[in-house]
Amino acid sequence: MSTVQGTAASRTTNRLVLDIGRQAGPWAVVLAANGVLLALAELALPALLGATIDDLLDAAVGASIVALAVVVAVVLLAEATEDVAVAQATARSTSLLRTRVLRHVLAVGQRVPESFSTGELTARTVGNTAEAGSVAADAIRAAITMLPAVGGVVALFVIDRWLGVTFLLGAPVLLLVLWLFAKESADLSAEYLSTQGVIAARLAQARAGARSIAAAGAADREVTRVLAPLPGLHRSGVRMWRAQSRVTIQDMLTFAALEIAVLAVAGWQLAAGRISPGELVAASLYVGLAANLSALAPAVGRLVRARAAAARLDEVLALRPTRYGSCPPAPSGGRVEFRSVTVRRGAQTVLDRIDLHVPPGSVLAVVGRSGSGKSVLAGLVARLQDPDEGQVVLDCVPLPLLSHHELRSAVSYAFARPTPFGHTIRDAVAFGLPGPAGIDLGVDVVAASSAARADAFIRRLPQGYDTSLGAAPMSGGELQRLGLARSFAHAGRVIVLDDVAASLDTVTEHEISCALQEMTDRTRILVAHRSSTAARADRVVWLEDGRIRALASHHELWSDPAYRALFGAGDQHPEPVLTTAVAG
Amino acid sequence: MTAVRDVLAGSDHAPGPEPDAGAAHVEARRPDPDPETGRHRAGGPVTWGSRDPARELLLSTLREHRRELRGLAGWSVLEAVPALVSGLAVAQAIDDGFLAGRPVTGLLWLAALAGSVLLGAVGTRQTLTRLAAVVEPFRDDLVRRVVGSSVRRPAPAGRAESGGDVARLTQHVEIVREAYAAVLMTVQQFVVVVLGVVIGLAALAPAVLPFVIVPITLALAAFSLVLRGMARRQRDSILADERLSDGAASVGTGMRDVVACGAEELVAADLNRHVGANAKALGGLGWLTGASTLIIGLGGWLPVLLLLAAGPWLLGQGATTGLLLGAVAYTLQGVQPALQTLAEGLTGPGLWLMVTVRRVAETTTRPDPPVELARPDPARPVGTELHLEGVGFAYSPWAAPVVQELTLSIPPGDHLAVVGPSGIGKSTLTGLLTGLLRPDAGTVRFGGLELAGWDPAELARRRVLIPQEAYVFAGSLRENLTYLAPDADDATLDAAVDLLGGRLLIDRVGGYDALVDPEPLSSGERQLLTLVRAYVSPAPLVILDEATCHLGAAAEGVIERAFAARHGTLVVIAHRISSALRARRILVLDGTEARIGDHEALLLQSSLYRDLVGHWHGA
Repeated sequence: MSTVQGTAASRTTNRLVLDIGRQAGPWAVVLAANGVLLALAELALPALLGATIDDLLDAAVGASIVALAVVVAVVLLAEATEDVAVAQATARSTSLLRTRVLRHVLAVGQRVPESFSTGELTARTVGNTAEAGSVAADAIRAAITMLPAVGGVVALFVIDRWLGVTFLLGAPVLLLVLWLFAKESADLSAEYLSTQGVIAARLAQARAGARSIAAAGAADREVTRVLAPLPGLHRSGVRMWRAQSRVTIQDMLTFAALEIAVLAVAGWQLAAGRISPGELVAASLYVGLAANLSALAPAVGRLVRARAAAARLDEVLALRPTRYGSCPPAPSGGRVEFRSVTVRRGAQTVLDRIDLHVPPGSVLAVVGRSGSGKSVLAGLVARLQDPDEGQVVLDCVPLPLLSHHELRSAVSYAFARPTPFGHTIRDAVAFGLPGPAGIDLGVDVVAASSAARADAFIRRLPQGYDTSLGAAPMSGGELQRLGLARSFAHAGRVIVLDDVAASLDTVTEHEISCALQEMTDRTRILVAHRSSTAARADRVVWLEDGRIRALASHHELWSDPAYRALFGAGDQHPEPVLTTAVAG
Repeated sequence: MTAVRDVLAGSDHAPGPEPDAGAAHVEARRPDPDPETGRHRAGGPVTWGSRDPARELLLSTLREHRRELRGLAGWSVLEAVPALVSGLAVAQAIDDGFLAGRPVTGLLWLAALAGSVLLGAVGTRQTLTRLAAVVEPFRDDLVRRVVGSSVRRPAPAGRAESGGDVARLTQHVEIVREAYAAVLMTVQQFVVVVLGVVIGLAALAPAVLPFVIVPITLALAAFSLVLRGMARRQRDSILADERLSDGAASVGTGMRDVVACGAEELVAADLNRHVGANAKALGGLGWLTGASTLIIGLGGWLPVLLLLAAGPWLLGQGATTGLLLGAVAYTLQGVQPALQTLAEGLTGPGLWLMVTVRRVAETTTRPDPPVELARPDPARPVGTELHLEGVGFAYSPWAAPVVQELTLSIPPGDHLAVVGPSGIGKSTLTGLLTGLLRPDAGTVRFGGLELAGWDPAELARRRVLIPQEAYVFAGSLRENLTYLAPDADDATLDAAVDLLGGRLLIDRVGGYDALVDPEPLSSGERQLLTLVRAYVSPAPLVILDEATCHLGAAAEGVIERAFAARHGTLVVIAHRISSALRARRILVLDGTEARIGDHEALLLQSSLYRDLVGHWHGA
């Protein structure tokens, strides 16, 4: 089973890699053609240089140096072109890929944060897209690396076969050294990284305990404790340098030995008159080209990393986007119906066959212990999630049949902990669907903020509504009012408020509930934790373990001790006279 | 490079340059009263002013390690020997050896070349050791700087903070370390090789010197111009990536908001602007990289072409074949690779070094913080009464006050519970009571002295704060438990552990001398350890800020009763209503209103208290 899935995933990843590669567009073609040209010119260069030197020694100047100059020019231009083409191909692939992944993430919606943490999401949309975006350039370069290397060996054979034989005998030693290097440095850097991890972990602990440390006046003690492993890190670091110097030296000596060996053989052949001085110079340059064989491993490594990044992106792209319908606008009114709605989370049933209808313009309070499914029920109305079974219907149209615009202009939603979006406070309140053409959003923003009792604190900010969000640290209560203002600014037929008054004081809560009380043309669904909220609703739906335990007015339900226990009121307390608060 | 990009990508919010006036700028901002997050961006202007912290940081470390740097330069002369000898050896091998029909002499010259490579290897070994001696202490300094400023930074009120900035800074340090080493190496190698070649050529034939020096100088001048443009585009690209990361992160935390507001298109369009800006910067960087490759290539090849073109003239001047070939070898195998390495070093690690060092410099302070300005009050405290008089506090001058006109006395031996909705300012009040926050108005006195006037160490001995996020560190259990009472003996610890119900946990960890790793402990177990720590401390005032929230209601009862029976004053920021029921007095926070009384009185007087009681029972 898992193998089958693995193969399928690997197949879609391969398809994604091809897609990304294709998106590099004409620059990939330029890169490939240019790479071949560059390899050929690089191979011609030593030969021409040798010929020029020989001509020079024969006191004949002319054709060969011109040819050399031309080939040098070709090499330089091709090298520059390669840089440009790699950058353009990568920038193009990366930006197209990022756009695609981001659009997909937004189209999927709420299931993305359920599947990926914020850090993961950022790493994938920014980091992995950049890694995977270089796939075309990596693949082409990996393929072309071999051309000059193989050509260099062939050229050595062409000049004199003994030169080629000398190189081929020495090359395995070079490769062996490089392989050993990779192994040893990996061990040492693991040690270094683990010490570094210890320091980071201690620092993270100290940061998490910052209040305890500050209260204990123990900052200096803590700095010493966190830094205790630093000398060890220093020692590991020095050992890494030592290992690197060993490797650099081995590498250098092996290459020098190879080159000198080829030069010695070439000198011998020169003395014997079998090759010219120019050919000797050319041979020493061909050794350099042939040693490029060692560049294959890192090139393949980059390609492997790019594919791994594509595989991680494939996991994001595998999430199914939310589909919207294209139904014409439903007749307005704001009647919300739940028809046998079931929602599961894993093996657990969060809502179990809920049947409920909310008349247009009425106020419904949703109450229940935490975990009884209140927020899930509220979220269904705004299609933050679709039910696993059953339907939620707005004015006779099942929600999935409504178009995106139709749904979002009909239902507005506010949360206990909103995340404000935008540059300024004004952006944050206006955030969402654009208003109808010709209507000044600014007016709506102020009116909505006033209704949400946010106007006063916003006006106190240095630039009022134009204050940048980053420059305006807000308390939990202020943030809730901002979120409420946002939902009022976009209010359609239905308003859903999920525990929006959790951090509000009683006076503010009362003022907001009055504003809400006046919105009689809208259906209001309120998730309530305070009895005062439930008291002002037309009806209360009481959820217990995902089912409706009761549906009645607050007054009717109050006689039930279990209902009163929900709000913590025991038998000894009469029903509090709470005419003040609704939003809760 | 990829790791580097990830690091910079996941960086803080900050007020960057103003976005285009017309375009909607969609980027979520988490409400963040924490003044230290979100003020820093990678890379300001790349041209460094004289008082630039990043430049200061680099210059000061260069100054401090002057001696090692001189050693580095000295040994790199030896490292350059092969480059110095190669041209000469090849020239002699051909002139005196192979072409003169004396192949053995030629081979001897090649052997001399091999010998020089060995000498060079010794030089390489020494330079890398010296490099370690410069780079590793620099890394140590950076780590000390990061740790020092992070630990001393004030704690965000009432909120646990993600370890993100810690990890990020640690990674930044590594980037700086690697880039610093790479830049030092390439610059130093370039200087030595070019000097070596110049000396070598001067020895061979001074006439050819201009053919080599002039093109290199011109190439370097042109390259430095291009480098400036590259630095700008590199910075643009990093900034765009940071904004993109911020945007992606806010989509992660605020997806509900985006979906519920139907703002998918708006957010996508905004994120795409950052994607486009990054692609544009990277594309521009590509063109400039091409230009720099061309310039450096010309700088390396022009000398060769000039030497060859001038060959007949040089030969006419009495130069030998070997000499000419030697000069060509010098340029091809000495100058060309050194130039290329220099260009790669400066355009790759060099640009990252500039951007990242700035970031580290900006997000940290110097290792030695300025001396605290607090002037301990010469008067001695009398008693342990905590008294607030007309206290007001707001997180910024324009924010609504969190606490206003609060007057409150907590006499010695009192047991006070503080209740209120979440986010109403209970942790702010804790900060004011403990002196971690200073009031904007009014005074907080402890033992008759204003908190600000207390010597911090003395204050730490007189009052204990145990916040919700329990601080247990990797160390022995004893170190953890005696954190606030270094002299406590086993009997004292035993008594506290038994009283608070921690015996099982202590035994499981393996006794007081066992090492404790906080990670595998549950939040409740960590809280239990910090509570024992508070109990054994000599402090007469204990403030528990939801310090039992991860423990069960029964355990919480045992613990609070034990603390109530302990000598001194107890203030509990309540997580459950049962904490309020146990207290002698209850403080209800409702906005900036505060009411104090016992349970029965508050049930009648405060509708919020009734709601809170209900909510707790309901949950």
